[in-house]
Amino acid sequence: MIKDITFGQYFPAKSIIHRLDPRIKLVLSLMFIIFIFVAQNAVSLAFIGTLTLLFVLISRVPVSLFLKNIKAILFVIILTSVLNALYVTTGNVLLEFWIIKITADGVKRALFMSARIIILIISSSLLTYTTTPTELTDAIERLLKPLRFIGLGEAVHVMAMMITIALRFIPTLIEETDKIMSAQKARGADLESGTLFERIKALIPILVPLLISSVRRAYDLAEAMECRCYNGGSGRQRMKQLKLAGRDYLSLAVLVVCMSAIIAFNIIF
Amino acid sequence: MATLSVENLTYVYGEKSPFQKTAIEDVTFSAKSGEIIGVIGHTGSGKSTLVQHFNGLLKANSGKVLLDGADIWENPKEIRKIRFKIGMVFQYPEYQLFEETVYKDIAFGPTNMGLSAEDINKRVLDTAQMLGITAEMLEKSPFDLSGGEKRRVAIAGVMAMQPEIIVFDEPTAGLDPAGRDIVLEKIKEYRDRTGALVFIVSHSMEDMARVADKLLVMNSGHLSMFDTVKKVFSNPQKLKKIGLNVPQVTKVFSALKEKGIPVDENVFTVNDAVSYLLSFLKGGKNND
Ligand SMILES: Nc1ncnc2c1ncn2[C@@H]1O[C@H](COP(=O)(O)OP(=O)(O)OP(=O)(O)O)[C@@H](O)[C@H]1O
Ligand SMILES: [Mg+2]
Repeated sequence: MIKDITFGQYFPAKSIIHRLDPRIKLVLSLMFIIFIFVAQNAVSLAFIGTLTLLFVLISRVPVSLFLKNIKAILFVIILTSVLNALYVTTGNVLLEFWIIKITADGVKRALFMSARIIILIISSSLLTYTTTPTELTDAIERLLKPLRFIGLGEAVHVMAMMITIALRFIPTLIEETDKIMSAQKARGADLESGTLFERIKALIPILVPLLISSVRRAYDLAEAMECRCYNGGSGRQRMKQLKLAGRDYLSLAVLVVCMSAIIAFNIIF
Repeated sequence: MATLSVENLTYVYGEKSPFQKTAIEDVTFSAKSGEIIGVIGHTGSGKSTLVQHFNGLLKANSGKVLLDGADIWENPKEIRKIRFKIGMVFQYPEYQLFEETVYKDIAFGPTNMGLSAEDINKRVLDTAQMLGITAEMLEKSPFDLSGGEKRRVAIAGVMAMQPEIIVFDEPTAGLDPAGRDIVLEKIKEYRDRTGALVFIVSHSMEDMARVADKLLVMNSGHLSMFDTVKKVFSNPQKLKKIGLNVPQVTKVFSALKEKGIPVDENVFTVNDAVSYLLSFLKGGKNND
């Protein structure tokens, strides 16, 4: 069913990572991702991998959810590994036939790349699993606030508002689509078989009502916002004030220490 | 003649997700042609979920739906045929209208059934006439009609398929009193004409008292009662406990009886109340 499409994969749980300030979380995640590529040798990569696992455990999000995401891009991982293994031809030759030459360096490089991609996926999923889409856009809006000095303040606000509204209405739209699909199926609409052309035509009974109700909803929303005196970003205050707490500074400190460790590992080993 | 049996039906939304929710659990009952069955229960008790199993829009986690003794999922490829026999009118069905004209929209179902053009035409015109949809309206865009008219068109779209079993999910929600009366009357008329088995999901005890033969009472996903209107409404304590009530007039009669006036408590509609009271006042004894 259409509801099975997970979007904005927030997973509600009680953990310190869920409670972190979204701005900090966003910045830390970006830093973390950069350091996945800063890590140059096996030791620093193993270190950053261990950290990732630790964060996953702390987040209390089921490990299976992360595995699902990795499975989704397994093909990309395999492809990158194979290409890397074939491309690098220096070092001890492990296997050679026809035009294919696999070397120790190549295998090492392939493993390295896969590990990086996997860590990358896990850490970015960690951000989306523990932060609601609204929190994320909120964080983006605030982090981009300095743009107002070059006259882009309103633009940032409008973009953020649009993203928030869009995200807010995705579940509603999915639900609506589901309902209309059920109603048309009950009238014998055949959505599952037929030629491509027939299938496209079969979508009309679903798309027309969906479009109409979306437009109606948009007008309703606009009206409701106006009734509550919405007139853009200037002078707007927030109900949910973000305030950095002890845990935010703590996590920032932890990350800085870890990052220094990675640089150190890079130099030492 | 058609018989619909439901056996040990259980359905869970979002299984194995953090939002898992058992919407109905172990529901068993059986109903046959000619009956109008009112499905009542508090909000979220599983009424809509239950009825969407009848024509295979939802597939139960366990349990079966039998149409004339045969499992509707016996041959999953044939589920569309089942949907031609078991019609379903959703809540606010006017939001599913999509064609350019009312005529075409009513014809959508019959066309999907693969009927001949002649048959389709006949069915559309017959159904439109029965539901008071004029020839002029048939040529209009469905989006130019009033809410009540749209509702009738949407109902016509399902009735034109002439299903042996037809389910209405809150067919009178959001209509004015006259609109409600028309819709209920037409549903009854459909049953009388075709002898179909009709399910009506509703929150109005008054409506149910007027049209239903039997009531199926849901409570938190469980089947709480399945009996005649009279039996169900003669148990106000039990109904109260699960967030429901008896019709207003019935309450009045109970109060009268408590005051020592020897009236019958089993009066469920205003019409019945009027004729009962008239004969009661005239003869001094009830004619029940
Ligand atoms: N699509 C869905 N996804 C998850 N849970 C759902 C979904 N639809 C319904 N539910 C849940 O299942 C339960 C039964 O819902 P259902 O819609 O069948 O109730 P209902 O008796 O029709 O209520 P109402 O009188 O408000 O229409 C509710 O608790 C509801 O929250
Ligand atoms: Mg419902």
